[in-house]
Amino acid sequence: MASKRLRSYLRTIGQVFVLQFKQLAIDGFIIFIVLVQPLLIAIMGLWMMRERQGNYAIFIVVGSGMTGLWSSLLYITGSNINVERWLGTLEMLVGTPTPLAVTVIGKTLSNVVMSLSSMILGYVLAALIFRFPLTLAHPLLFVVSLICSVAAFATFGLVIAPFFAINRQLQGWVNALEFPMYILAGFMFPIALLPGWTTPISYALAPYWAARALHATSSGNVPLSDVFLSWGMMLLFSVIYLLLSGWLFRVMVHKARVDATLSLQ
Amino acid sequence: MMKRLQAALRIFFTSAYYSYIALFRWFRPAPYIASKIIMPLAQILFFAFLGMYASGRDQASFYVIGNAVQLAAISGIYGVTMSVGGERWAGTLGYLFGAPANRMLIFVGRAFMHIIDGMLGVMLGLMWGVLLLGVDLSHTDLGALALTILITAASTSGMGLLLGCLSLIMRNVMFINNTVYFLMLALCGANVPVSSLPGWVQRISYVLPLTRGIASAREIVDGASLRSVGPMLGGEVLVGAVYILLGYVLFRQFEIQAKKRGTLDVM
Repeated sequence: MASKRLRSYLRTIGQVFVLQFKQLAIDGFIIFIVLVQPLLIAIMGLWMMRERQGNYAIFIVVGSGMTGLWSSLLYITGSNINVERWLGTLEMLVGTPTPLAVTVIGKTLSNVVMSLSSMILGYVLAALIFRFPLTLAHPLLFVVSLICSVAAFATFGLVIAPFFAINRQLQGWVNALEFPMYILAGFMFPIALLPGWTTPISYALAPYWAARALHATSSGNVPLSDVFLSWGMMLLFSVIYLLLSGWLFRVMVHKARVDATLSLQ
Repeated sequence: MMKRLQAALRIFFTSAYYSYIALFRWFRPAPYIASKIIMPLAQILFFAFLGMYASGRDQASFYVIGNAVQLAAISGIYGVTMSVGGERWAGTLGYLFGAPANRMLIFVGRAFMHIIDGMLGVMLGLMWGVLLLGVDLSHTDLGALALTILITAASTSGMGLLLGCLSLIMRNVMFINNTVYFLMLALCGANVPVSSLPGWVQRISYVLPLTRGIASAREIVDGASLRSVGPMLGGEVLVGAVYILLGYVLFRQFEIQAKKRGTLDVM
Protein backbone atom coordinates (compact mmCIF):
# COMPACT_ATOMS: atom_id res chain seq x y z
CA MET A 1 0.00 0.00 0.00
CA ALA A 2 2.74 2.41 0.98
CA SER A 3 4.82 1.46 -2.06
CA LYS A 4 1.76 1.92 -4.31
CA ARG A 5 1.24 5.40 -2.91
CA LEU A 6 4.95 6.19 -3.32
CA ARG A 7 4.83 5.04 -6.96
CA SER A 8 1.79 7.23 -7.49
CA TYR A 9 3.56 10.24 -5.98
CA LEU A 10 6.66 9.62 -8.07
CA ARG A 11 4.55 9.39 -11.22
CA THR A 12 2.88 12.69 -10.30
CA ILE A 13 6.25 14.34 -9.71
CA GLY A 14 7.45 13.10 -13.08
CA GLN A 15 4.39 14.36 -14.94
CA VAL A 16 4.48 17.75 -13.22
CA PHE A 17 8.21 18.01 -13.90
CA VAL A 18 7.73 17.53 -17.63
CA LEU A 19 4.74 19.88 -17.87
CA GLN A 20 6.46 22.61 -15.86
CA PHE A 21 9.62 22.28 -17.94
CA LYS A 22 7.67 22.70 -21.17
CA GLN A 23 5.84 25.76 -19.82
CA LEU A 24 9.04 27.38 -18.56
CA ALA A 25 10.92 26.75 -21.79
CA ILE A 26 8.67 29.10 -23.79
CA ASP A 27 8.32 31.89 -21.22
CA GLY A 28 10.42 34.95 -22.09
CA PHE A 29 10.83 36.07 -18.49
CA ILE A 30 12.03 32.60 -17.44
CA ILE A 31 14.50 32.45 -20.31
CA PHE A 32 15.87 35.80 -19.17
CA ILE A 33 16.19 34.77 -15.51
CA VAL A 34 17.66 31.34 -16.24
CA LEU A 35 19.85 32.04 -19.26
CA VAL A 36 20.33 35.68 -20.24
CA GLN A 37 20.95 37.26 -16.84
CA PRO A 38 23.49 34.66 -15.62
CA LEU A 39 25.20 34.86 -19.00
CA LEU A 40 25.54 38.63 -18.80
CA ILE A 41 26.79 38.34 -15.22
CA ALA A 42 29.34 35.75 -16.40
CA ILE A 43 30.51 38.06 -19.21
CA MET A 44 30.85 40.97 -16.78
CA GLY A 45 32.67 38.78 -14.28
CA LEU A 46 35.09 37.48 -16.90
CA TRP A 47 35.86 41.01 -18.10
CA MET A 48 36.21 42.38 -14.57
CA MET A 49 38.56 39.59 -13.50
CA ARG A 50 40.79 39.66 -16.56
CA GLU A 51 43.68 41.34 -14.67
CA ARG A 52 43.61 38.69 -11.98
CA GLN A 53 46.08 35.82 -12.10
CA GLY A 54 44.98 32.25 -11.79
CA ASN A 55 42.11 30.11 -12.97
CA TYR A 56 39.27 32.51 -12.29
CA ALA A 57 37.19 31.58 -15.34
CA ILE A 58 35.75 28.39 -13.84
CA PHE A 59 35.03 30.32 -10.63
CA ILE A 60 33.05 32.92 -12.58
CA VAL A 61 31.19 30.30 -14.64
CA VAL A 62 30.14 28.32 -11.56
CA GLY A 63 29.29 31.50 -9.66
CA SER A 64 27.16 32.96 -12.44
CA GLY A 65 25.37 29.62 -12.77
CA MET A 66 24.53 29.82 -9.10
CA THR A 67 23.10 33.31 -9.54
CA GLY A 68 20.77 31.76 -12.12
CA LEU A 69 19.85 29.01 -9.66
CA TRP A 70 18.95 31.47 -6.92
CA SER A 71 17.10 33.93 -9.18
CA SER A 72 15.00 31.12 -10.63
CA LEU A 73 14.26 29.84 -7.13
CA LEU A 74 13.15 33.29 -6.05
CA TYR A 75 11.10 34.36 -9.05
CA ILE A 76 9.79 31.05 -10.32
CA THR A 77 9.68 28.60 -7.41
CA GLY A 78 8.51 31.29 -5.03
CA SER A 79 5.41 31.82 -7.13
CA ASN A 80 4.76 28.11 -7.81
CA ILE A 81 1.60 28.12 -5.69
CA ASN A 82 0.53 31.69 -6.43
CA VAL A 83 0.65 30.98 -10.17
CA GLU A 84 -1.88 28.18 -9.68
CA ARG A 85 -4.03 30.64 -7.73
CA TRP A 86 -3.84 33.21 -10.54
CA LEU A 87 -4.73 30.52 -13.12
CA GLY A 88 -7.69 29.38 -11.01
CA THR A 89 -6.39 25.83 -10.63
CA LEU A 90 -5.26 25.93 -7.01
CA GLU A 91 -8.59 24.74 -5.61
CA MET A 92 -8.51 21.68 -7.87
CA LEU A 93 -4.95 20.88 -6.86
CA VAL A 94 -5.79 21.15 -3.16
CA GLY A 95 -8.94 19.10 -3.67
CA THR A 96 -7.18 16.14 -5.33
CA PRO A 97 -6.07 13.14 -3.22
CA THR A 98 -2.43 13.82 -4.14
CA PRO A 99 -0.94 16.22 -1.57
CA LEU A 100 -0.22 19.72 -2.91
CA ALA A 101 3.37 19.36 -1.72
CA VAL A 102 3.96 16.51 -4.18
CA THR A 103 2.89 18.73 -7.09
CA VAL A 104 5.10 21.55 -5.86
CA ILE A 105 8.06 19.12 -5.55
CA GLY A 106 7.71 18.31 -9.25
CA LYS A 107 7.54 21.99 -10.17
CA THR A 108 10.47 22.91 -7.96
CA LEU A 109 12.67 20.13 -9.31
CA SER A 110 11.86 21.26 -12.83
CA ASN A 111 12.76 24.87 -11.98
CA VAL A 112 16.07 23.87 -10.43
CA VAL A 113 17.06 21.51 -13.25
CA MET A 114 16.18 24.14 -15.85
CA SER A 115 18.25 26.76 -14.05
CA LEU A 116 21.29 24.45 -14.19
CA SER A 117 21.29 25.18 -17.91
CA SER A 118 22.68 28.62 -17.05
CA MET A 119 25.82 26.95 -15.72
CA ILE A 120 26.13 24.83 -18.84
CA LEU A 121 25.61 27.82 -21.13
CA GLY A 122 28.14 29.86 -19.15
CA TYR A 123 30.62 27.03 -19.54
CA VAL A 124 30.08 26.91 -23.30
CA LEU A 125 30.39 30.68 -23.56
CA ALA A 126 33.62 30.87 -21.59
CA ALA A 127 35.19 27.82 -23.22
CA LEU A 128 34.20 28.20 -26.86
CA ILE A 129 33.74 31.93 -27.35
CA PHE A 130 36.16 33.44 -24.87
CA ARG A 131 38.50 30.43 -25.13
CA PHE A 132 39.23 30.16 -21.43
CA PRO A 133 40.72 26.87 -20.24
CA LEU A 134 37.97 25.33 -18.15
CA THR A 135 38.78 22.13 -16.34
CA LEU A 136 37.09 20.89 -13.21
CA ALA A 137 39.64 20.07 -10.53
CA HIS A 138 37.56 17.16 -9.14
CA PRO A 139 34.86 16.22 -11.70
CA LEU A 140 33.29 13.39 -9.68
CA LEU A 141 33.18 15.44 -6.50
CA PHE A 142 31.73 18.32 -8.51
CA VAL A 143 28.89 16.10 -9.71
CA VAL A 144 28.14 14.98 -6.16
CA SER A 145 28.27 18.62 -5.02
CA LEU A 146 25.85 19.50 -7.81
CA ILE A 147 23.42 16.79 -6.69
CA CYS A 148 23.60 17.99 -3.08
CA SER A 149 23.10 21.57 -4.30
CA VAL A 150 20.02 20.59 -6.32
CA ALA A 151 18.60 18.90 -3.21
CA ALA A 152 19.37 21.94 -1.03
CA PHE A 153 17.91 24.43 -3.50
CA ALA A 154 14.87 22.28 -4.23
CA THR A 155 14.02 21.84 -0.56
CA PHE A 156 14.60 25.55 0.01
CA GLY A 157 12.14 26.14 -2.79
CA LEU A 158 9.62 23.95 -0.98
CA VAL A 159 9.85 26.36 1.96
CA ILE A 160 9.64 29.51 -0.17
CA ALA A 161 6.58 28.47 -2.21
CA PRO A 162 4.08 28.03 0.67
CA PHE A 163 5.67 30.95 2.54
CA PHE A 164 4.96 33.29 -0.37
CA ALA A 165 1.49 31.81 -0.70
CA ILE A 166 0.70 32.47 2.99
CA ASN A 167 2.26 35.98 2.98
CA ARG A 168 1.30 37.44 -0.37
CA GLN A 169 2.89 40.79 0.52
CA LEU A 170 6.27 39.04 0.37
CA GLN A 171 5.98 38.88 -3.42
CA GLY A 172 6.71 42.60 -3.37
CA TRP A 173 10.04 41.90 -1.65
CA VAL A 174 11.31 39.48 -4.27
CA ASN A 175 13.38 42.13 -6.07
CA ALA A 176 15.15 42.97 -2.82
CA LEU A 177 16.14 39.35 -2.08
CA GLU A 178 18.06 38.63 -5.29
CA PHE A 179 21.38 40.42 -4.93
CA PRO A 180 21.70 39.99 -1.12
CA MET A 181 21.88 36.22 -1.61
CA TYR A 182 24.50 36.62 -4.35
CA ILE A 183 26.57 38.59 -1.81
CA LEU A 184 26.00 36.56 1.38
CA ALA A 185 26.33 33.14 -0.26
CA GLY A 186 29.65 34.03 -1.89
CA PHE A 187 28.59 33.12 -5.43
CA MET A 188 31.05 35.40 -7.22
CA PHE A 189 33.53 36.42 -4.52
CA PRO A 190 34.62 35.03 -1.13
CA ILE A 191 32.57 36.11 1.89
CA ALA A 192 35.88 37.01 3.56
CA LEU A 193 35.52 40.36 1.76
CA LEU A 194 32.39 41.11 3.76
CA PRO A 195 32.23 42.50 7.32
CA GLY A 196 32.69 39.80 9.96
CA TRP A 197 29.20 40.15 11.37
CA THR A 198 27.70 38.82 8.10
CA THR A 199 29.55 35.48 8.37
CA PRO A 200 26.99 33.77 10.69
CA ILE A 201 24.25 34.89 8.28
CA SER A 202 26.12 33.26 5.40
CA TYR A 203 26.59 30.05 7.38
CA ALA A 204 22.82 29.88 7.98
CA LEU A 205 22.12 29.84 4.23
CA ALA A 206 22.11 26.58 2.26
CA PRO A 207 23.14 28.35 -0.97
CA TYR A 208 26.38 29.41 0.77
CA TRP A 209 27.32 25.77 1.38
CA ALA A 210 26.34 24.89 -2.18
CA ALA A 211 28.59 27.65 -3.54
CA ARG A 212 31.39 26.58 -1.20
CA ALA A 213 31.23 22.95 -2.38
CA LEU A 214 30.93 23.77 -6.07
CA HIS A 215 33.77 26.29 -6.03
CA ALA A 216 35.99 23.93 -4.02
CA THR A 217 35.44 20.97 -6.36
CA SER A 218 35.74 23.05 -9.55
CA SER A 219 38.64 25.32 -8.64
CA GLY A 220 40.24 22.69 -6.41
CA ASN A 221 42.11 24.84 -3.94
CA VAL A 222 40.57 23.73 -0.62
CA PRO A 223 40.96 20.49 1.41
CA LEU A 224 38.52 17.60 0.91
CA SER A 225 37.33 17.86 4.51
CA ASP A 226 35.93 21.24 3.59
CA VAL A 227 33.96 19.68 0.74
CA PHE A 228 32.56 16.94 2.99
CA LEU A 229 31.56 19.58 5.54
CA SER A 230 29.69 21.49 2.82
CA TRP A 231 27.89 18.32 1.70
CA GLY A 232 26.94 17.57 5.29
CA MET A 233 25.58 21.05 5.83
CA MET A 234 23.57 20.91 2.60
CA LEU A 235 22.04 17.58 3.60
CA LEU A 236 21.28 18.91 7.07
CA PHE A 237 19.62 21.99 5.64
CA SER A 238 17.69 19.82 3.17
CA VAL A 239 16.24 17.78 6.03
CA ILE A 240 15.37 20.93 7.99
CA TYR A 241 13.74 22.51 4.94
CA LEU A 242 11.77 19.34 4.21
CA LEU A 243 10.35 19.25 7.73
CA LEU A 244 9.67 22.98 7.69
CA SER A 245 7.98 22.83 4.29
CA GLY A 246 5.75 19.96 5.44
CA TRP A 247 4.52 22.10 8.31
CA LEU A 248 4.13 25.18 6.08
CA PHE A 249 2.03 23.29 3.53
CA ARG A 250 -0.29 22.04 6.29
CA VAL A 251 -0.59 25.56 7.70
CA MET A 252 -1.20 27.03 4.25
CA VAL A 253 -3.92 24.59 3.26
CA HIS A 254 -5.60 24.68 6.67
CA LYS A 255 -5.56 28.47 6.77
CA ALA A 256 -6.92 28.69 3.22
CA ARG A 257 -9.76 26.28 4.11
CA VAL A 258 -10.64 28.08 7.35
CA ASP A 259 -10.48 31.56 5.79
CA ALA A 260 -11.89 30.38 2.42
CA THR A 261 -9.09 32.34 0.73
CA LEU A 262 -7.72 29.65 -1.59
CA SER A 263 -8.79 31.39 -4.75
CA LEU A 264 -8.42 35.00 -3.61
CA GLN A 265 -5.79 37.10 -5.37
CA MET B 1 0.01 82.34 -28.21
CA MET B 2 0.05 82.45 -24.39
CA LYS B 3 -3.11 80.36 -24.30
CA ARG B 4 -1.51 77.68 -26.46
CA LEU B 5 1.58 77.65 -24.29
CA GLN B 6 -0.53 77.31 -21.15
CA ALA B 7 -2.49 74.47 -22.73
CA ALA B 8 0.73 72.74 -23.76
CA LEU B 9 2.21 73.01 -20.25
CA ARG B 10 -1.04 71.78 -18.73
CA ILE B 11 -1.07 68.72 -21.00
CA PHE B 12 2.61 68.01 -20.30
CA PHE B 13 2.38 68.17 -16.50
CA THR B 14 -1.03 66.49 -16.31
CA SER B 15 0.29 63.63 -18.40
CA ALA B 16 3.37 63.37 -16.19
CA TYR B 17 1.40 63.51 -12.95
CA TYR B 18 -1.27 60.96 -13.86
CA SER B 19 1.13 58.50 -15.46
CA TYR B 20 3.26 58.57 -12.33
CA ILE B 21 0.47 58.12 -9.80
CA ALA B 22 -1.15 55.47 -12.02
CA LEU B 23 2.04 53.50 -11.88
CA PHE B 24 2.73 53.94 -8.18
CA ARG B 25 -0.80 54.11 -6.75
CA TRP B 26 -0.90 50.37 -6.30
CA PHE B 27 2.52 50.25 -4.67
CA ARG B 28 2.66 49.90 -0.94
CA PRO B 29 5.60 51.37 1.01
CA ALA B 30 7.14 47.90 1.47
CA PRO B 31 7.46 46.98 -2.24
CA TYR B 32 8.63 50.53 -3.03
CA ILE B 33 11.35 50.29 -0.39
CA ALA B 34 12.27 46.82 -1.68
CA SER B 35 12.51 47.89 -5.34
CA LYS B 36 13.84 51.44 -5.04
CA ILE B 37 16.06 51.32 -1.94
CA ILE B 38 17.13 47.79 -0.99
CA MET B 39 17.56 46.29 -4.45
CA PRO B 40 19.69 49.22 -5.74
CA LEU B 41 21.82 49.14 -2.58
CA ALA B 42 22.30 45.38 -2.97
CA GLN B 43 23.25 45.78 -6.63
CA ILE B 44 25.83 48.43 -5.78
CA LEU B 45 27.28 46.28 -2.99
CA PHE B 46 27.43 43.18 -5.19
CA PHE B 47 29.32 44.80 -8.03
CA ALA B 48 31.48 46.87 -5.68
CA PHE B 49 32.62 43.75 -3.81
CA LEU B 50 33.10 41.84 -7.07
CA GLY B 51 35.10 44.75 -8.41
CA MET B 52 37.19 44.94 -5.24
CA TYR B 53 37.85 41.20 -5.49
CA ALA B 54 38.93 41.69 -9.10
CA SER B 55 40.98 44.87 -8.83
CA GLY B 56 41.56 45.73 -5.17
CA ARG B 57 39.81 47.72 -2.46
CA ASP B 58 41.13 51.04 -3.75
CA GLN B 59 38.94 50.66 -6.84
CA ALA B 60 35.66 50.64 -4.87
CA SER B 61 34.82 54.18 -5.93
CA PHE B 62 34.95 53.21 -9.63
CA TYR B 63 32.25 50.56 -9.17
CA VAL B 64 30.12 52.54 -6.73
CA ILE B 65 29.87 55.59 -8.99
CA GLY B 66 29.27 53.46 -12.08
CA ASN B 67 26.51 51.41 -10.48
CA ALA B 68 24.95 54.37 -8.68
CA VAL B 69 24.57 56.35 -11.92
CA GLN B 70 23.35 53.20 -13.68
CA LEU B 71 20.45 53.08 -11.23
CA ALA B 72 18.84 55.82 -13.33
CA ALA B 73 17.98 52.97 -15.70
CA ILE B 74 15.55 51.45 -13.19
CA SER B 75 13.16 54.38 -13.46
CA GLY B 76 14.23 55.32 -16.95
CA ILE B 77 13.58 51.92 -18.50
CA TYR B 78 11.08 50.07 -16.34
CA GLY B 79 9.07 53.02 -15.07
CA VAL B 80 8.80 54.82 -18.39
CA THR B 81 8.08 51.62 -20.34
CA MET B 82 5.21 50.77 -18.01
CA SER B 83 3.88 54.33 -18.21
CA VAL B 84 3.64 54.09 -21.99
CA GLY B 85 2.84 50.41 -22.37
CA GLY B 86 0.36 50.47 -19.51
CA GLU B 87 -2.09 52.34 -21.74
CA ARG B 88 -2.51 49.20 -23.82
CA TRP B 89 -3.05 46.91 -20.86
CA ALA B 90 -5.47 49.36 -19.26
CA GLY B 91 -7.47 49.65 -22.49
CA THR B 92 -7.07 53.43 -22.64
CA LEU B 93 -5.16 53.70 -25.91
CA GLY B 94 -8.33 54.53 -27.78
CA TYR B 95 -9.02 57.51 -25.53
CA LEU B 96 -5.40 58.62 -25.77
CA PHE B 97 -5.35 58.54 -29.57
CA GLY B 98 -8.82 59.99 -29.81
CA ALA B 99 -7.77 63.11 -27.89
CA PRO B 100 -6.70 66.16 -29.91
CA ALA B 101 -3.80 66.90 -27.53
CA ASN B 102 -0.28 67.31 -28.83
CA ARG B 103 1.26 63.85 -29.09
CA MET B 104 4.82 64.91 -28.33
CA LEU B 105 3.74 66.53 -25.05
CA ILE B 106 1.70 63.50 -24.02
CA PHE B 107 4.54 61.17 -24.97
CA VAL B 108 7.43 63.02 -23.34
CA GLY B 109 5.33 64.02 -20.33
CA ARG B 110 5.23 60.39 -19.31
CA ALA B 111 8.95 60.41 -18.63
CA PHE B 112 9.08 63.57 -16.55
CA MET B 113 8.38 62.19 -13.07
CA HIS B 114 10.51 59.12 -13.78
CA ILE B 115 13.45 61.43 -14.50
CA ILE B 116 12.98 62.95 -11.03
CA ASP B 117 12.57 59.47 -9.53
CA GLY B 118 15.70 58.29 -11.36
CA MET B 119 17.71 61.24 -10.03
CA LEU B 120 16.56 60.39 -6.52
CA GLY B 121 17.68 56.79 -6.99
CA VAL B 122 21.12 57.83 -8.19
CA MET B 123 21.59 60.26 -5.31
CA LEU B 124 20.56 57.55 -2.86
CA GLY B 125 23.06 55.18 -4.48
CA LEU B 126 25.86 57.72 -4.13
CA MET B 127 24.86 58.31 -0.52
CA TRP B 128 25.20 54.57 0.16
CA GLY B 129 28.59 54.68 -1.51
CA VAL B 130 29.74 57.49 0.75
CA LEU B 131 28.34 55.95 3.94
CA LEU B 132 29.26 52.30 3.41
CA LEU B 133 32.16 52.15 0.97
CA GLY B 134 34.08 55.35 1.62
CA VAL B 135 33.46 57.18 -1.66
CA ASP B 136 35.09 60.60 -1.35
CA LEU B 137 33.02 63.51 -2.65
CA SER B 138 35.22 66.22 -1.13
CA HIS B 139 36.61 67.27 -4.56
CA THR B 140 33.24 67.13 -6.26
CA ASP B 141 31.41 70.04 -7.83
CA LEU B 142 28.00 69.03 -6.52
CA GLY B 143 26.14 71.30 -8.93
CA ALA B 144 27.94 69.72 -11.89
CA LEU B 145 27.23 66.26 -10.49
CA ALA B 146 23.54 67.06 -10.08
CA LEU B 147 23.36 68.30 -13.68
CA THR B 148 25.13 65.15 -14.87
CA ILE B 149 22.65 63.00 -13.01
CA LEU B 150 19.72 64.95 -14.46
CA ILE B 151 21.01 64.63 -18.02
CA THR B 152 21.78 60.91 -17.58
CA ALA B 153 18.35 60.20 -16.07
CA ALA B 154 16.72 62.09 -18.95
CA SER B 155 18.68 60.28 -21.67
CA THR B 156 17.94 56.91 -20.06
CA SER B 157 14.26 57.85 -20.00
CA GLY B 158 14.57 58.46 -23.73
CA MET B 159 15.53 54.80 -24.08
CA GLY B 160 12.56 53.94 -21.89
CA LEU B 161 10.20 55.86 -24.18
CA LEU B 162 11.46 53.87 -27.16
CA LEU B 163 11.04 50.57 -25.30
CA GLY B 164 7.63 51.72 -24.13
CA CYS B 165 6.57 52.06 -27.75
CA LEU B 166 7.82 48.55 -28.42
CA SER B 167 5.54 47.39 -25.64
CA LEU B 168 2.59 48.71 -27.65
CA ILE B 169 3.34 46.22 -30.41
CA MET B 170 4.93 43.31 -28.52
CA ARG B 171 3.52 40.94 -25.94
CA ASN B 172 6.66 40.28 -23.95
CA VAL B 173 8.57 43.53 -23.75
CA MET B 174 9.82 42.78 -20.21
CA PHE B 175 12.29 40.31 -21.71
CA ILE B 176 13.72 43.14 -23.79
CA ASN B 177 13.64 45.58 -20.86
CA ASN B 178 15.50 43.18 -18.58
CA THR B 179 18.06 42.36 -21.27
CA VAL B 180 18.66 46.04 -22.08
CA TYR B 181 19.05 46.84 -18.37
CA PHE B 182 21.71 44.18 -17.89
CA LEU B 183 23.40 44.99 -21.20
CA MET B 184 23.73 48.56 -20.01
CA LEU B 185 25.30 47.27 -16.78
CA ALA B 186 27.84 45.41 -18.90
CA LEU B 187 28.48 47.88 -21.74
CA CYS B 188 28.05 51.40 -20.36
CA GLY B 189 31.16 51.43 -18.22
CA ALA B 190 29.43 50.83 -14.89
CA ASN B 191 31.60 47.81 -14.10
CA VAL B 192 34.06 47.44 -16.97
CA PRO B 193 35.97 50.43 -18.39
CA VAL B 194 34.62 51.04 -21.89
CA SER B 195 38.18 51.50 -23.17
CA SER B 196 39.00 47.90 -22.26
CA LEU B 197 36.14 46.46 -24.31
CA PRO B 198 36.68 45.22 -27.88
CA GLY B 199 36.43 47.99 -30.49
CA TRP B 200 33.12 46.83 -31.95
CA VAL B 201 31.61 46.64 -28.49
CA GLN B 202 32.80 50.17 -27.67
CA ARG B 203 30.84 51.45 -30.66
CA ILE B 204 27.70 49.92 -29.14
CA SER B 205 28.56 51.42 -25.75
CA TYR B 206 28.69 54.90 -27.18
CA VAL B 207 25.28 54.72 -28.80
CA LEU B 208 23.70 53.75 -25.49
CA PRO B 209 22.61 56.27 -22.86
CA LEU B 210 24.51 56.22 -19.53
CA THR B 211 27.99 55.69 -21.04
CA ARG B 212 28.96 59.36 -21.19
CA GLY B 213 26.97 60.14 -18.03
CA ILE B 214 28.88 57.55 -16.00
CA ALA B 215 32.23 58.72 -17.38
CA SER B 216 31.34 62.37 -16.62
CA ALA B 217 30.22 61.51 -13.07
CA ARG B 218 33.52 59.75 -12.38
CA GLU B 219 35.52 62.70 -13.63
CA ILE B 220 33.46 65.18 -11.62
CA VAL B 221 33.89 63.14 -8.44
CA ASP B 222 37.65 63.18 -9.15
CA GLY B 223 37.54 66.98 -9.24
CA ALA B 224 36.84 67.83 -12.87
CA SER B 225 34.82 70.94 -13.68
CA LEU B 226 31.54 71.11 -15.57
CA ARG B 227 33.38 72.76 -18.45
CA SER B 228 35.73 69.83 -18.88
CA VAL B 229 32.95 67.24 -19.05
CA GLY B 230 30.76 69.53 -21.17
CA PRO B 231 31.41 67.70 -24.48
CA MET B 232 30.55 64.34 -22.92
CA LEU B 233 27.36 65.70 -21.39
CA GLY B 234 26.49 67.23 -24.72
CA GLY B 235 26.89 63.80 -26.27
CA GLU B 236 24.62 62.31 -23.61
CA VAL B 237 21.95 64.93 -24.35
CA LEU B 238 22.21 64.11 -28.05
CA VAL B 239 21.88 60.37 -27.47
CA GLY B 240 18.82 60.91 -25.27
CA ALA B 241 17.25 63.23 -27.85
CA VAL B 242 17.75 60.64 -30.58
CA TYR B 243 16.05 57.93 -28.52
CA ILE B 244 13.14 60.26 -27.69
CA LEU B 245 12.76 61.12 -31.38
CA LEU B 246 12.90 57.45 -32.42
CA GLY B 247 10.37 56.58 -29.77
CA TYR B 248 8.07 59.38 -30.87
CA VAL B 249 8.25 58.33 -34.52
CA LEU B 250 7.40 54.77 -33.51
CA PHE B 251 4.58 56.04 -31.29
CA ARG B 252 3.04 58.01 -34.16
CA GLN B 253 3.51 55.14 -36.60
CA PHE B 254 1.80 52.80 -34.18
CA GLU B 255 -1.13 55.19 -33.89
CA ILE B 256 -1.49 55.52 -37.66
CA GLN B 257 -1.22 51.78 -38.34
CA ALA B 258 -3.47 50.81 -35.45
CA LYS B 259 -6.19 53.21 -36.63
CA LYS B 260 -5.83 51.96 -40.20
CA ARG B 261 -6.08 48.29 -39.26
CA GLY B 262 -8.45 48.64 -36.32
CA THR B 263 -5.95 46.90 -34.04
CA LEU B 264 -5.78 49.55 -31.33
CA ASP B 265 -6.71 47.28 -28.45
CA VAL B 266 -5.49 43.98 -29.86
CA MET B 267 -3.26 42.31 -27.27
